[in-house]
Amino acid sequence: MSRTTSYPQTMPPTRPEISSDGPEPARTRWAQLATSADHKDIGRILVSVAFGSIFLAALELLLMRAQLAVPENVFLKGVTFDRLLSVYGETAIFLVALPLIIGLLYYVVPLQIGSRTTAIPRVGQTGLWLFIFGGILLYGSFLFTPPEAGINPLPPFSDATFNPNNGVDVWIGSTGLITLGLLMVAIDLLATLHNLRAPGMAWRRAPLFTWAGAIVTWLFVVIAPIFLAAISMLMIDRLYDGGFFAGDEGGSPILWQHLSYIFFTGVYMSVAITFLAAIGEIVQTFTGRELPRKAVTRSFVAIAIIGTLAWTQNMLTVPIPSGWKYFGMLMSLALIVPFGLIFYNLISTVSQSDFHMRAPLRFALGALSLASIGLAAEIAQSTIAVATQLSETYDAWAATHFTLIGFVLFGGFAAVTYWYPKMTGRQLNEDRAAKSFGLMFVGTIIALLPLFAAGVSGQVTDSYRYFSFEDLGVYNLIAGIGTLILFVGIVLAIGNLVASRSEEPAATPDPYRGDSLEWLALSPPPAHNFDVLPDVHSTRPMRDIREAVIRRDAETAAAEDAAPVSA
Amino acid sequence: MSLFISLAGVLIAFALNATPAMALSLNPDAASPGIEDANTLHWILFVVILAVIVVVNLAILKAARPRSRAVTPKPGRKVSQVKLAIGLGVFALALFVVATVFSDKSREIPAVNAEPVAGQVKGEPLEITATGSQWLWRFNYPNGAFSYRRLTVPAGVTVQLDLVSTDVVHGWNVPELTGKAQAIPGKTNKVYFRADDPGVYTSRSSVLSGQGYDTMEIEVNVVSPEEYEAAIEELKTDIQDAQDKVEAQFKAERDKSEAAADQVGKAETNNDAESAEAE
Repeated sequence: MSRTTSYPQTMPPTRPEISSDGPEPARTRWAQLATSADHKDIGRILVSVAFGSIFLAALELLLMRAQLAVPENVFLKGVTFDRLLSVYGETAIFLVALPLIIGLLYYVVPLQIGSRTTAIPRVGQTGLWLFIFGGILLYGSFLFTPPEAGINPLPPFSDATFNPNNGVDVWIGSTGLITLGLLMVAIDLLATLHNLRAPGMAWRRAPLFTWAGAIVTWLFVVIAPIFLAAISMLMIDRLYDGGFFAGDEGGSPILWQHLSYIFFTGVYMSVAITFLAAIGEIVQTFTGRELPRKAVTRSFVAIAIIGTLAWTQNMLTVPIPSGWKYFGMLMSLALIVPFGLIFYNLISTVSQSDFHMRAPLRFALGALSLASIGLAAEIAQSTIAVATQLSETYDAWAATHFTLIGFVLFGGFAAVTYWYPKMTGRQLNEDRAAKSFGLMFVGTIIALLPLFAAGVSGQVTDSYRYFSFEDLGVYNLIAGIGTLILFVGIVLAIGNLVASRSEEPAATPDPYRGDSLEWLALSPPPAHNFDVLPDVHSTRPMRDIREAVIRRDAETAAAEDAAPVSA
Repeated sequence: MSLFISLAGVLIAFALNATPAMALSLNPDAASPGIEDANTLHWILFVVILAVIVVVNLAILKAARPRSRAVTPKPGRKVSQVKLAIGLGVFALALFVVATVFSDKSREIPAVNAEPVAGQVKGEPLEITATGSQWLWRFNYPNGAFSYRRLTVPAGVTVQLDLVSTDVVHGWNVPELTGKAQAIPGKTNKVYFRADDPGVYTSRSSVLSGQGYDTMEIEVNVVSPEEYEAAIEELKTDIQDAQDKVEAQFKAERDKSEAAADQVGKAETNNDAESAEAE
């Protein structure tokens, strides 16, 4: 069993002779980056944009919590709050969660399957730029009218009659560009996964994160067109009096809720799958143990299918046939099985192992802790009787945020700190990472726990103020303080990611003695990833390579014992 | 180590902050039979959820414990994944059965009162229409009276509330009586309740509907059947009075303007006559 060596890492490269830097780039660094169709450049841009957007989303959340910190506050106007809320929702989903999962998968998975490139790189490159234009459109709209119709702009409220300004058009345009762009990146990754795996890399040997890549990209290929269709209909309604979502013209506002919630639920599940797989990789590497692959990968598939089918869990107060509501309840409660299996395996594997606590594992365990609170609280939200009480309140908000902050923020930091040496070629400052983790973790708890209480006391979401007779002040004040702590933690953690790139020593290709093939490439990998494509014989190809190197070195040493080669 | 401290902090924070707060305010005062079932289910789930959170987080805490480097790791006990999945499946199914039983009970139409009140068909619930509009609820009673913001209902009478909307989606939300239900344009969402005791329940809409969303209040005033009948009769009379007043005013205005027109007409005729004479 391989044990992690102690920190800091100063090990020489495992096998320096099989990787090279490749030819010098012909263009300057930024021109190279902007015109690159390389999956690593695109993945890094997506991940960087996601981390920049984490800062923006946290800032918007902080402003909203500041407005809600005391009753009858006049810090923000109602319309400003609605705009912050709408932009916050879009940022968190479309500029943080989605690019983070797609970007990480797009960076890491081709390396893990031992591929030199992606299958259709120009498609991925086009996708990146569509995504970037979508982001520019959203934040550029602060110059005229940002979206103001809520996190999910329900028609008819988002129709031209009730929202005549450009806010909803911006929402449609930016989410459309982002979804289309990321769909193209996902399609490229999917083609790569099915065509460019290294010799011997059968599905049964593919790493967990690669499995997550396959499941998430397939899921995205299913749900993204549904969303694109829905926003196209909304656009036709707004611009050309389409009537798809108009109740009195043969359409139905409920149709929008079905279509949009299929997409949002699918995104929620994609996020969960991706970061559980990243946490799985981290746990495997740092404990030196393998998770039960069949159980975990099958659980991922189950989460993708059952979880997305549970979309009516969001619609328990809507007049739809009650069969749909029971179906949504059954599917959400069935999710207990795959989530429970994965959580059990991850936690018990860590518990039964000896390891040195490193930043990625710390973030990973934090992610599991926070997500467990959110997922457990979702149990109440998914039963019809309790949902008629608690949906559309801060209880639902807190449950969703515990899960998504757990997975996206903590899982995201876990994954990025884990692959940081690979992506940047530098080590990460782990002391600062541990400190920022503590702040973020405590901040999240303080920011969200009181909101459960506010929600059961009846505080409804999306309102820019509440009144002192509602007795909600204390919960919101505590939540505001927690959000401030969380914000400081996020700023420090992102600052650490930036500062470590210039301050910390260079990283070796294989700093943790990982088992999957991304650790074979240099840190950062050259444009063509690998000089020699490895043969894969097991689920732990990198360990095989290390053992082969040790064997060969021993043989060489034995053969040339009499005449040692000078260095 | 800091993870250890943070996780311990979670449990302490949970114990100090959320649990009593949640336990105290978990139940809205159930004023209708269905809400009692919802509250019971919420209590059961609250205990289950709290247990799950505590067990999972204690396990994470144990997993994250600081290791002494001298101790060699124990080989893990093998647990059959299939058995684990079956166990979790049984747990999920049990929750589904419990949730279905209580959800069915809470969705049942409460037993209809024997003595119908005015406007109620015997053996059927009293039908009142609640119409959401930006940013006011309007309630139409069977006798043709209507009111805004404040709904008056008789105690001990089963009420069927037909939720409709004239513009955007509005969130009907009275936790003590009906819970939440969306009023969607082009569709009628029916909720049933029976408030057994008089009382006043205030709340506010729960779906973002625009600039006046934060002031879109709901007040349900539960009174005795006699008071209810008197109240809606009074409403009807008031509305009729207001209508009469408007008509009277309109009539007065019209008479006045007609009289003025007559005068002008007369004056003009006179003028004509005078000018004719002059010629």
